[in-house]
Amino acid sequence: MATPPRPPIATRIFRALLRLLPVDFRIEHGREMEQVFRSQRRDAGNEGTIRAVAGLWLETVRDLLTTAPLQHAAMLRQDAGYALRSLRRTPVFTTAALLTLAIGISASAGIFTIINAFLFRPLPVDRPDELVSIATLDDHIELPHGLSLPDLKDYAELTDVFAGMLGYTQRGAWMNAGGSPERIVIEAVTENTFLLLGARPLIGRVLAPADLRTPVAVLAHDYWQARFAGDSTIVGRTIRLNEETFTIVGVVEPRFKGLDSLIRISAFVPLSMLDRLNAMPAGETIIEARDRHALNVVGRLRPGVTIESARSALRVKSQILASLYPATNRNVSLLVVPETHARPVPQNGPMFHVGAAALAMLAGLLLLITSANVANMLLARAASRGREMALRAALGARRGRVVRQLVTESLVLSIIGGVTAALLSMFLAAAMERGIAALSFEVPLQVNFAIDWRVLAAIFAVAAAAGVVSSLAPALYARRADVNAVLKAAGRTSSGTGPGRLRGMLVVAQVAVSLVLLIVGGLFVKTLDRARTVDLGFRSAGVLLASVDLSRSTYSTATRADYYRAARDRAAALPGVRTAAWISALSFGSSLDSVELRPAGTSADEAGRQSFSVSVSPEYFAAAAVPLVSGRMFDERDAADSPSVIVVNQTLAELLWPGKNPLGRRLLLGAPGTPAEVVGVVRNGKYVFLWEAPRAMLFRPLTQDTPRSASLEIVTAGDPTAMAGTLRMALGAIDPGVPVYGIQSMDQYLENGSALLLFRIGALFTGVFGALGLIMASIGLYGVVAYDTTRRTHEIGVRMALGALRATIIRDVLIRGGRLAASGAMLGMMLAAGLTWLLRAMFLGVSPFDGSIYLGTAVLLIGVCLLASFVPARKAATSDPVTALRAD
Amino acid sequence: MLHALLSLADGEKHGYAIIKEIARRTNDEVRLGAGTLYALVKRALGDGLIVESDDRPDPSLDDERRRYYRLTALGRTVAEAEIARLEAIVGMARAKNLRTRRA
Repeated sequence: MATPPRPPIATRIFRALLRLLPVDFRIEHGREMEQVFRSQRRDAGNEGTIRAVAGLWLETVRDLLTTAPLQHAAMLRQDAGYALRSLRRTPVFTTAALLTLAIGISASAGIFTIINAFLFRPLPVDRPDELVSIATLDDHIELPHGLSLPDLKDYAELTDVFAGMLGYTQRGAWMNAGGSPERIVIEAVTENTFLLLGARPLIGRVLAPADLRTPVAVLAHDYWQARFAGDSTIVGRTIRLNEETFTIVGVVEPRFKGLDSLIRISAFVPLSMLDRLNAMPAGETIIEARDRHALNVVGRLRPGVTIESARSALRVKSQILASLYPATNRNVSLLVVPETHARPVPQNGPMFHVGAAALAMLAGLLLLITSANVANMLLARAASRGREMALRAALGARRGRVVRQLVTESLVLSIIGGVTAALLSMFLAAAMERGIAALSFEVPLQVNFAIDWRVLAAIFAVAAAAGVVSSLAPALYARRADVNAVLKAAGRTSSGTGPGRLRGMLVVAQVAVSLVLLIVGGLFVKTLDRARTVDLGFRSAGVLLASVDLSRSTYSTATRADYYRAARDRAAALPGVRTAAWISALSFGSSLDSVELRPAGTSADEAGRQSFSVSVSPEYFAAAAVPLVSGRMFDERDAADSPSVIVVNQTLAELLWPGKNPLGRRLLLGAPGTPAEVVGVVRNGKYVFLWEAPRAMLFRPLTQDTPRSASLEIVTAGDPTAMAGTLRMALGAIDPGVPVYGIQSMDQYLENGSALLLFRIGALFTGVFGALGLIMASIGLYGVVAYDTTRRTHEIGVRMALGALRATIIRDVLIRGGRLAASGAMLGMMLAAGLTWLLRAMFLGVSPFDGSIYLGTAVLLIGVCLLASFVPARKAATSDPVTALRAD
Repeated sequence: MLHALLSLADGEKHGYAIIKEIARRTNDEVRLGAGTLYALVKRALGDGLIVESDDRPDPSLDDERRRYYRLTALGRTVAEAEIARLEAIVGMARAKNLRTRRA
């Protein structure tokens, strides 16, 4: 019977269905299955009913659908089993490959854990995707910042867009539950917060709208456990916060740790209690003031409302507010982003995202090197198994099957590597949490780096990607491998063709990428170094800091001033102390305050200019080595009841009276407008960021603007930290009830504080990536050169038998390694130039093309690579030529 | 699997013949699809229970060069052992006065 040129439609459909089966199965039995099906159809057709034909089709489809997955699984099991057996046969290779993979994958996982903690993990509350963060943008501070409570209330009127809006702020507070007071961070939240978020109590209740101006507190779960040992009778007990009595009404559920992703919160209180906590005199308010942009604001969008329509509704509203309250709301626009984009703090601006993207990119590069390394190892293995592969091919294993086997092997490797990495990541995450908690930052920090499904998914996606990428090269090789050539050559081929060239290319790529990592790391280290040497405009060496908090009702403005004077005098009299001075808020700290200024004679309705403002004791400028440009410093004349005086920095003077003498001029400070006379001008300093443009700053005498908390700077002759105990005792002797905290040297404060911490973290991460990249690349190069040399043992033996010098042999091997390294370095420098140009915003004070870093890292890398090739070179040169010739 | 082995007990057969034989003997209660059958064949081949036969029993009927399978000695032993096992179970059931109900 002649076969028709085109089989009937039923057969073609059946053939299509057969494609569900594994290819091997199809090739083995497909033709027969088709014959069976044709017979079945013939029989069904003979029965003559539609039912019989339809039944056959149904049965056939069901049959193939159940058979196919089972056959695939069986095939995979067989391949995986074979892969496992063959990996077990080469333990050294397997261990090396697994370690490489585990390190590469966990480095990526670590970065992803960090990014996840800040950018992806939603708040553990109801429908977190509806939450948006709302921040103020204005011309006063470069970064987004908070809203005032009156503004929040006005914006919350947009009820057709928002289901509700909440505000919160953190504050350090002294908690006293009997015994000595303890410094904790509390979150003051608008009373609707828990209801709006859907955060529920574990015991007792959470805050409710009825708690307006009620002294009640809700404890965070972890603090309740740590401080009160999980005592369930805590509800109804009273504690004292800053000497105010609060009743504990409940403990919030464990998953809710507050709205801030970075700060460890111990308790929650109604925002309306903040003025009482701040010990504001009756009638004075901070939270009700429209010019205090202190609240972080989160809104919940109504279901179906887009962030875009929320933005436009808020824009309209903010324009209305600007016309109603020009003094405070002019030139204000709002930044509205999903809540997850406003972390770690709404104020972070885009820097965090750029940093996260940069780190993710570095992790990706490291993963590439890792994959290349594993690919290299697999290639070496494939080459040494060339005979086995060729034999299998000759015995009838199809090429696709061999490729599949190789891919399965590297997938099995990467899955085991992924599991190892997942375990490693858990340790890494725990270590990072401990590291963050141990940072002596201004406030206790806490980040939830828990490995959730997102991180696990990322680890296995990354592992699978590494598996596929690293199997590409060997698979490519196996596809091309010519059975005859491999069998004939019998493992005596030298480099230049096949796996040799492919592996050479891989090493070049690896060296290139690791140089990129090294250069980025080097630039970050140099950035940190530059940041450390930025001219701060004030003394940092040999300074010891101690902060005190006088916000207790027992202290009045006058007695606070007395305390400051007495404490300063006592500290200055300590042996080894050169001088001492108070400042109300340290540079780079979170308590920096700003004040509104207007030239004298203008009305209060007119918008003024904002400037940062600190209060200092008369000795400050001398103690902090802030040079006076003109006029005088503060002195004994500037008492509480004398005319108000101020010292301005050069920038503020230039802003207010460009080109004129500022001395003797008068300003109105604050909303009602306290008149004050400029008596001095000092040099600019750094106040908020190390790399800020010159910024306006205004100094007031401590006697005329007496803060509730301040920091004492003592200048010591020797090591400042050695004075810590003495200083604490001296301050305790004046009033043992005044809490003293943050005793550390100014250098420690800068290193661990917002001044340098980010630079240090950046340098640490990129440095670790650079080092890992360097190690991986040298392992890769060592592998290639060592393998190459082993394969050339015969040739080297011949040359040595013919009288070649050992040195010549070593030189030849080194040249091959060096050539690979040098080509990689050239390529790497070009790649690095492109990448660092993209990241240039992050290298403050350093050029992205810094010559010394590029050259230095390239020399280091090539040196390490030469060292890696020297080991096999020496081995080859010292081998006995006779043994070498007998080899193979 | 046992059905497939049994169907080969009285001589070698090709795939469709196995399906038909099983259907006939079980009164259409067991109807194998092509996929199920060849999954069984593959396993039986791998375990050495059956082999592909070289002879073509009736070349004139063999229109499409079908493959024929026949039971190996091992396959026969396995089938016998399985039947012995089943007989033992039936025997035990009888001893306990359990009866098979027939429709």
